[in-house]
Amino acid sequence: MDAVTLRADIHQQIEQFGKADIVVGIPSFNSAHTIGHVVRAVQAGLAKYFPECKAVIVNSDGGSSDGTMEVVHNTSIGDFGTILLHHRIEPVLKMAFPYSGIPGKGSAFRAVFEVAQALEAKACVVVDSDLRSITPEWIELLLKPVLNGGFDYVAPLYHRHKFDGTITNSIVYPLTRALYGQQVRQPIGGDFGFSGKLAQFYLTKDVWETDVARFGIDIWMTTTAIANGFKVAQSFLGAKIHDAKDPGTDLGNMLYQVVSSTFQLMENYAEVWTPVRGSQPVPTFGFEYTVGLEHVNVNTARMLALFREGLLNLREIWLGILGAGDLKEVERLGEMEDVKFHFPMALWTRIIYDYAIAFHQKRLPAEHLLKSLLPLYIGKTVSFVLQVGPMEAHEAETEIDKLCLEFEHGKDFLCTCWK
Amino acid sequence: MMDFLNLMLEPLQEVFVKFEAFLPNLLAMLVILAVGILLARVVRVLLLKFLRVIQFDSWSDRMGFTTLLRKGDLWLKPSAVLGGTVFWILVIVTLMAGLGALNVAAIDTLVAQFFNYLPRVFSAAVILAIGYLFTSFISRAVLITLVNSGYHYARLLAEAIRVLLMLMILAMVMEQLQIATNVVLAAFSILFGGIVIALAIAFGVGGIDTARRIVEQKFAEEPPKAPDDIEHL
Repeated sequence: MDAVTLRADIHQQIEQFGKADIVVGIPSFNSAHTIGHVVRAVQAGLAKYFPECKAVIVNSDGGSSDGTMEVVHNTSIGDFGTILLHHRIEPVLKMAFPYSGIPGKGSAFRAVFEVAQALEAKACVVVDSDLRSITPEWIELLLKPVLNGGFDYVAPLYHRHKFDGTITNSIVYPLTRALYGQQVRQPIGGDFGFSGKLAQFYLTKDVWETDVARFGIDIWMTTTAIANGFKVAQSFLGAKIHDAKDPGTDLGNMLYQVVSSTFQLMENYAEVWTPVRGSQPVPTFGFEYTVGLEHVNVNTARMLALFREGLLNLREIWLGILGAGDLKEVERLGEMEDVKFHFPMALWTRIIYDYAIAFHQKRLPAEHLLKSLLPLYIGKTVSFVLQVGPMEAHEAETEIDKLCLEFEHGKDFLCTCWK
Repeated sequence: MMDFLNLMLEPLQEVFVKFEAFLPNLLAMLVILAVGILLARVVRVLLLKFLRVIQFDSWSDRMGFTTLLRKGDLWLKPSAVLGGTVFWILVIVTLMAGLGALNVAAIDTLVAQFFNYLPRVFSAAVILAIGYLFTSFISRAVLITLVNSGYHYARLLAEAIRVLLMLMILAMVMEQLQIATNVVLAAFSILFGGIVIALAIAFGVGGIDTARRIVEQKFAEEPPKAPDDIEHL
């Protein structure tokens, strides 16, 4: 596939660089105050762990107005002695440019894939530009399995607060694990390593005008790698701490884009996932250690009010998706006292499968369908927060594992209704 | 006696001659009717088969047409309703064509008027169908968005928008059908304007305190809300 999104001057720059062993992609949008740290960590990681490899850092920017690209150009490590280098150092080249296409992380990644293809890179890594906890070791952990281990795709494995990542924990991880049978814990982690071969494969797919070009890129990359038989691993990176999200980011849109991408992938790979039963762990690299995490405040009262508001107003829509039996169970949840609120795992599993089937059968326009899931998702999140609040992190993880098993056990229902 | 008989037979002969002249037209009408009704039946059968293949009933369920039919106390399948509608339209068209074959001046005028009116009926039906779909889509989008924003009167507002849009579409349909155009336009303007004025007065008079509270809250210092730091992705 031709590189269609890169400008002529970018092609010239690529020609000057010739070839590269490693491409590091950093998608960004108004990240001037954090991207410097990310670039330094990447430079240090490349210098420390891959001193003999020719590497290019690619900042694919979404039209920042705060000088993000200038920060990338001006950032360098003054004294490499501080990171105890004693090898020959290949220079780390940098390029920063605004990508074209639909505004979103997916379009930024597409530009990175194209640069990787043009430079004939052996391995690539992509990291978020707002990371505060990235260390040089992340680069090693995401690249070494590709360069030395023969893996094509390395997903991240982080320690996160037990309340964080609820879309991952209650929908994307259990669903991906049950569908494709691989226990990739952070399928939408955001920071990945992958082979040049896989980057080229991604470019053959015509998805860049869909939600994949936005928030859907992470689940798309993971699922595409698994479903097409690429060798997948995960690496423990420690804590994931990043800049506070833009409060204007709409949860409904976020949920819609991630879940619609996941469901769309179910359509594309129905023949792959329908015969799969159970799940297997994937090879995991890195030394796992406990990390201290910041406290997360959750306003459960406000969230429960939103769930009940949904119950009051979306009854007819939910009836068409869930059926009378499950709707009755949801209605019973609405009558529970706040402190006793509990969303049964089996019910949640059936709800997600019902939504997947409704999406498959096009019962409603996709956006209406998936945005009507939000109050139910909020209800499930509150239930999880109340349940694991007094628990240790590993106990909360056990609860997530139980939910995954529920998804795996309920898969026959999904397969039967899918036909 | 012969004169009397001639007097009696002449009108009968005249009627017979007229009937003789009219008979081919009548036969033509009967043939047109028979062929037309047969054709309408064939079209209905083929249409029903086609609608079954494209799963029209499921699509109607999704689009809310089935609900609309049930509300109108129609308990047939949507495909059967569409098949029946097309059948009767064809029968009426056949009947008009058959009547045209009679070559009666008064009927010819009526038939010409009917065929001139037909495009208006068709465009009115299209406006109604598209309008209904559009109204359902907008009303559902408003409902979901408001619920997800935590707005308490989501359903009320979504229903109000649905009613207003349907009123507007019905006014367009009536105008298209040229049924009491001026009355419909005036009624619509009065109703629509009335609703807006009623809302304005209701909020202005009845909701003075509410309005004051909203304005005060807007410009006053935001009260501290319970924090929510959860990261969903």
